[in-house]
Amino acid sequence: MHIVKQLMVIPGVIAAGEYAYRGDRFSYQGALTDELARMASILCRANTLMVNMQAEIFDSFAENCGCRPVQGWIVRGNKLTICSVGNYFAFLDSRDELLNDVMTIMRAKVGDVQDDLLVNLYARLGGNTKEALY
Amino acid sequence: MNLEKMMDLPGALAAFTYSDKGELQSHLLREGSGLTAQVLDLLARSCVANMAIAGMEARGWEALTGHNGFDPLKGFSVVGLEWSVVVDGNRGVIVKNRDADYEATFKALQAA
Repeated sequence: MHIVKQLMVIPGVIAAGEYAYRGDRFSYQGALTDELARMASILCRANTLMVNMQAEIFDSFAENCGCRPVQGWIVRGNKLTICSVGNYFAFLDSRDELLNDVMTIMRAKVGDVQDDLLVNLYARLGGNTKEALY
Repeated sequence: MNLEKMMDLPGALAAFTYSDKGELQSHLLREGSGLTAQVLDLLARSCVANMAIAGMEARGWEALTGHNGFDPLKGFSVVGLEWSVVVDGNRGVIVKNRDADYEATFKALQAA
């Protein structure tokens, strides 16, 4: 079953979606409109880019310290939480016994994010992005 | 919650506190974790930045969409390849991913 569908059957998951690393596509299910899903995808992509940039800096001070490539991030709100793993995201209630389940499923289904994530995030730069980055 | 108690959280590799500006104030590192005080110092600065950005996004999201529930923020976590850093307030814990209990860690930091 597709990851988004699997997430949406969990009680407490409000919406889930997937966005393209290069930033030009998204899909979703749940209680969002197309416009909100577009905004959520931009937000998630921007945060993913930001934390990967930070991890690159940490790694330059302590090589192979276990931080990169970043697998995802969590914003814990008072009543709502956003989880992002790879290029998938989920909006969920901040209630007990939900976050760990969602993160376990997302990590298991998305798998380990590989080192080419930054290259994919910057793919719209054009040309040889890998060469430009490294 | 003091640093020693934060180190009792599941999978804890390091615990630290930092100022509002992101300056590392105190820390404990588990031996063999591969982490250093210098990484924690950088991490603390990123924690302040990430909480500020997440706060802006939460406020903006609520104002634009009318969907309330993010603000006030209760924490932020970055999930790395082997470990995650979980922060709230001016405290953070680094936990091994395979042992991480995100809910318990967020709760513990909020209760501190």
